[in-house]
Amino acid sequence: MEALLDIHRLSVEFNTARGRVHALRDVSISVPKGKVVGIVGESGSGKSTLVWAVMRLLAGNSIVADGKITFRGEDVLSFDESALREFRGESVSMVFQDPMTSQIPVLDYRRQMTDILYRRKGLSRQEKIRMAARFMNRVGIPDADDRLRHFPHQFSGGMRQRAGIAMALLMDPALLIADEPTTALDVTMEAQIIHLIREAQTDFGATVMVISHNLGLIAELCDKVVVMYAGEVVEQGDVKDIFFNAHHPYTQALLECDPSHDLKQERHFPTIPGDVPDLHGTPKGCVFAQRCRHASDICQYKRPGEYPIAGGHASDAHAARCHRYDPGGVWKELPKSETPKASTRIDVHVERDAPPLLEIKDLRVRFPVMGRVRALASGISDPHVDAVAGVSLAIRTGETLGLVGESGSGKTTLARAVLGLNRVHSGSIRFRKEELVGLPENTYKKMRRDIAMMFQDPVGSLSPRQTVGQLLSEPLIIHGERDLPLRDAAEKLCDMVSLPRNFLSRYPHELSGGQARRVGVARALALSPALVIADEPTAGLDVSVQGEVLNLMIELQALHGLSYLIISHNLPVIRQVSDILAIMYLGRIVEYGACSQVFEKPAHPYSEALVRGTPRPDPSRRRKLVSIEGEVPSLTNRPGGCEFHPRCPYATDRCRKEQPSPTRLVDGRTVLCHFPLAG
Amino acid sequence: MTMDAVGTFRQRPEKLALLLKNKQGMIGFVLVVAFFLSALLAPFLATHDPAQLDIPARLTGPGADHWLGADQLGRDTYSRVLYGGRVALKVAAIGVTLSLVIGLTLGMVAGYGPRWLDNALLLLFDTIRSFPTIVLALAAVSLLGPSLNLILSIVIITSIPSYARLARTSTLALKNTEFIMAERSLGAGTFRILFRHVMPNVIGPLLILAAMDVPVVVTIEAGLSFLGLGVLPPTASWGTILNEGYLVIRTSPWPVVAGGIPLVLTTLGFTLLGEALRDIFDPKLRGIR
Amino acid sequence: MLIYIVKRIGLAVLIILLAVLALFVMLHSIPGDPVSIALGPRATPEIQAAYAAKMNLDKPLFTQFLIFLGNVLTGDLGTDVFSNRSVAKTLLGQLPYTISLAVASLGWAVALGIPMGCISATKPNGWLDRITGLVSIGTIAVPSFLVSIWAILVFAIHLNIFPVIGAGDQGDLADMALHLVLPSFAVGLGWVGYLARMVRASMLEVMGENYIRSARAFGLTTQTIIYRYALRVAILPTITLIGVGFGGLLSGTVFAEIIFARPGIGKVIYDMVLNRNFPVVQGAVMMTVALYAVVTLASDIIVSILDPRVRESL
Repeated sequence: MEALLDIHRLSVEFNTARGRVHALRDVSISVPKGKVVGIVGESGSGKSTLVWAVMRLLAGNSIVADGKITFRGEDVLSFDESALREFRGESVSMVFQDPMTSQIPVLDYRRQMTDILYRRKGLSRQEKIRMAARFMNRVGIPDADDRLRHFPHQFSGGMRQRAGIAMALLMDPALLIADEPTTALDVTMEAQIIHLIREAQTDFGATVMVISHNLGLIAELCDKVVVMYAGEVVEQGDVKDIFFNAHHPYTQALLECDPSHDLKQERHFPTIPGDVPDLHGTPKGCVFAQRCRHASDICQYKRPGEYPIAGGHASDAHAARCHRYDPGGVWKELPKSETPKASTRIDVHVERDAPPLLEIKDLRVRFPVMGRVRALASGISDPHVDAVAGVSLAIRTGETLGLVGESGSGKTTLARAVLGLNRVHSGSIRFRKEELVGLPENTYKKMRRDIAMMFQDPVGSLSPRQTVGQLLSEPLIIHGERDLPLRDAAEKLCDMVSLPRNFLSRYPHELSGGQARRVGVARALALSPALVIADEPTAGLDVSVQGEVLNLMIELQALHGLSYLIISHNLPVIRQVSDILAIMYLGRIVEYGACSQVFEKPAHPYSEALVRGTPRPDPSRRRKLVSIEGEVPSLTNRPGGCEFHPRCPYATDRCRKEQPSPTRLVDGRTVLCHFPLAG
Repeated sequence: MTMDAVGTFRQRPEKLALLLKNKQGMIGFVLVVAFFLSALLAPFLATHDPAQLDIPARLTGPGADHWLGADQLGRDTYSRVLYGGRVALKVAAIGVTLSLVIGLTLGMVAGYGPRWLDNALLLLFDTIRSFPTIVLALAAVSLLGPSLNLILSIVIITSIPSYARLARTSTLALKNTEFIMAERSLGAGTFRILFRHVMPNVIGPLLILAAMDVPVVVTIEAGLSFLGLGVLPPTASWGTILNEGYLVIRTSPWPVVAGGIPLVLTTLGFTLLGEALRDIFDPKLRGIR
Repeated sequence: MLIYIVKRIGLAVLIILLAVLALFVMLHSIPGDPVSIALGPRATPEIQAAYAAKMNLDKPLFTQFLIFLGNVLTGDLGTDVFSNRSVAKTLLGQLPYTISLAVASLGWAVALGIPMGCISATKPNGWLDRITGLVSIGTIAVPSFLVSIWAILVFAIHLNIFPVIGAGDQGDLADMALHLVLPSFAVGLGWVGYLARMVRASMLEVMGENYIRSARAFGLTTQTIIYRYALRVAILPTITLIGVGFGGLLSGTVFAEIIFARPGIGKVIYDMVLNRNFPVVQGAVMMTVALYAVVTLASDIIVSILDPRVRESL
């Protein structure tokens, strides 16, 4: 197999104030022509550094310490300025993680795309514009001529990424590098972008390198997979070998941790204990040794080589960097230490007959979208949107309600309205039968002891100039419990979320995502609430850490009889933790019912799209088609009839004209659809 | 993801060490310290009483007795420059501190408070800013007559908008962050949120602005005094030294040179220090070098 | 876009109105007899009486304000009670001198400062950056009125190269230009460094943005990246700064006009302050406020043309 790009024993180091960081060590990867190669790894694995090293766009404080990068037989590291320009854009092109920040905000797409075509000296300006329009059409942007005059901020997230792909393909590159291409996007958009990249690969005959932490996406898209950990390649091989016959303990653990891997509702998540090692200085031994459940003595002091694994799928050699596969090695399996027992399902007592703890009825939250002057000038009489448009739901004591939806569905707005952080327009929110809507802040304050919220960003939701100790004792101070020995209380909270007590003097920016999330959990539970609202509790966390946080939340629920309202776009996670599921679209709940039922037989076409749309870490189950097209419409422009009809594969005339009302199915679910798919 | 990966390697550097390493910052720091010390210790450093006349020495250049020469009345320019520094320090310290405190408070209120209050305050700031400082000062002097307190008031009024706008912008950005939401969800009061959680995150850039603002304030005082509309002779101030020197500029260049140099050094010092602080502390510019 | 401009103009008008109100309040909140304060000790009782009638001081305060406002809006800035000439006419005659000085100073500063900033930012911490850094710090450190004084010392007294007094012969453009050199140098010098630092800082900030890295990843030339992409974004805060800082520039022109004995609004204000002729001072202040409002308006509109995101805000 001819390699288009060959990375040979590449080592990259960064100079920092605290010394040298070994960001990449001894990385060898070959990218065969015409294939899709996936680089997978958690944060700190060095996968992005690898990309920028190939592009020769590393930050100024970095040094390529060793190794070679060969592209079509040419040495990339020795390219001069003009050779580099030709290499970038002409031979290699990129799709970026965040299209919002990687497209210049002050130039329209026409200008951006004709600028990329500057090398095509033979083309007139008109021809370049036509070519740009053709590529915009090609990636599924209609009315390209018109759209080319738009600026990035006028596009939706999905459209921006499509335009980004159009720009990357414009010069017909031999190698396309996609750096986390769907991380900034929603589930339904993700499926479309994966589809688009795969199409581009077949149509243009391009070779693709995809960087992602998303195992589902890698399984769905790639032929060959490279697993990275702490700056090293720990295992690589054919996609089937990696997903079905993983050899390296890290790969195995990583696959196990992925929540979509497990379809049973276990309420217990596998984790990889420990942290990514500090890359200052040269680590001895295997980089994964500290977290490896198989680690032997030799792993601590001797660095393993990349050993071939026999019986791999044809195309590429399957290899793992682990002493266990050293043919001439002295590997001794140690007696297995106690691994945490899987499948310790914790049951929570739910009082089925008791009145609901929280009951929301017909809730409406409105936001102004423009100033009065602008609205007047545009002839709009009511410049408001309903971010939450008539939502009803109920949570009982000990129950977990999962609220699912894409961005713009109103799920976060709903949660914040419960806490009085967003103004309610109409409807009612009752907590223990007491109405919360319209309550003045001083009465509301008493309620805040019983309703706690965990915010999305683990680090960003902690006040940056306060120590962990101050943060943990603050809820107590606010609620007037100054007499308590605050230090003791904070220490107790630390113990509860198994955070070392010496963390009390640290600042949020000194914490890892998982540690910060623990502080968030502890803060939420400081006043022993009855209801915890968790907004994307796993956002920003690596899969190996996600499990720890979810396990902790589940344990605490059982211990304190908590009720949860968990908001997430991550269906596999929601599936594992929820009793009741509510799926939101454009501010309305389109399906509401028992979690297991919704996942088994979704009744609303949108639920179906979400459930089936999540890529699975299973390369043998690749979907041929994208389930739903298009994007979530803007709230200012709600479609008539059923609001989902423009994207619904089953839409009929009735759907286009008539707005459905909630229908109750025999199994107790409520669906907002004229033609429910189940029940 | 990329930035994170790189970011984790860039541990928060020791800020003070960075300042010490920053050559321009150190020069600035030394000049600023010199400005403070020379003003505070003027009575000990001066060789003459600033008001003492020495007619025979009038308009002489630098010499053993009068280090920076003497003015048209034979007063020692070196000593007058030192005492002039006290006026500059007083204006700078009071003017900058008060505008910082008032500006910070108003800015936080505008940023965190209701929309109408924000709009009203913004309008107020814009209105104040539309009066060029010197022009406003001249107008006020024409009504009230020259005095140091008038200069101080004008300086404070016209400086408040820039502090307030900076504080407002940062507060506005913080208002909808998750950590402020988290505080609100816990039931923290507005006062607590503003002074415990917003202020520590807003004040940094304002302090840098304050450092850069000192030269502006000192220059306004010197400029107005030079025009004869600020500190009035015979009080020694850098402006009055320049004013009196300007009258005799064709006979002796020394007073206008000696009166100007401390002004230049002070401006230089605070500008260098301010820029160094900004480079080190302002996260927006961090990571570039 | 249109909505933005209309709103922005509305805001400018509102600010001018508020400024007028502020001036009015200033005049009337001062303890003592407004007539004698406004006219100063030199005014005779006849002038005082004429002034009181002229300014409608016998009417209620609010009526006074409305009359005052109405006059200002129709361009009537009152009458100079000493010379009995229309204040507006006097000032309008002086305005071109001030504007030409401001424009010349700004021209200098922009022509030198922006390229300097770009050069610095291309190779940060290179020798060119260090030199421009020193030069710009140097220019910032010398306040403009000191530049004026020292320029007179060097050029007029010791070298005698440039004319230092007045604005030159009316109608002789070359002479007028020659008379503009030193004053505009004095006013603009500090701005050279100021703009250079500003452009450098925002260029460096922009050069660290993701879209610059993606432009590099698409293989665009360094020229395109620096001058078409980075500068295009980095210039925006600089334009805003010029607008906002125009007030400071006007302060500078006041000093330059006084020191170089040039005609202009600043000189008028100074002379009238010394004479305690408040009606003229008041008119002149209002004129500078209007001038400032026009310049910030222009800078905001330019920014909104260059930055599509701004149009949708406000």
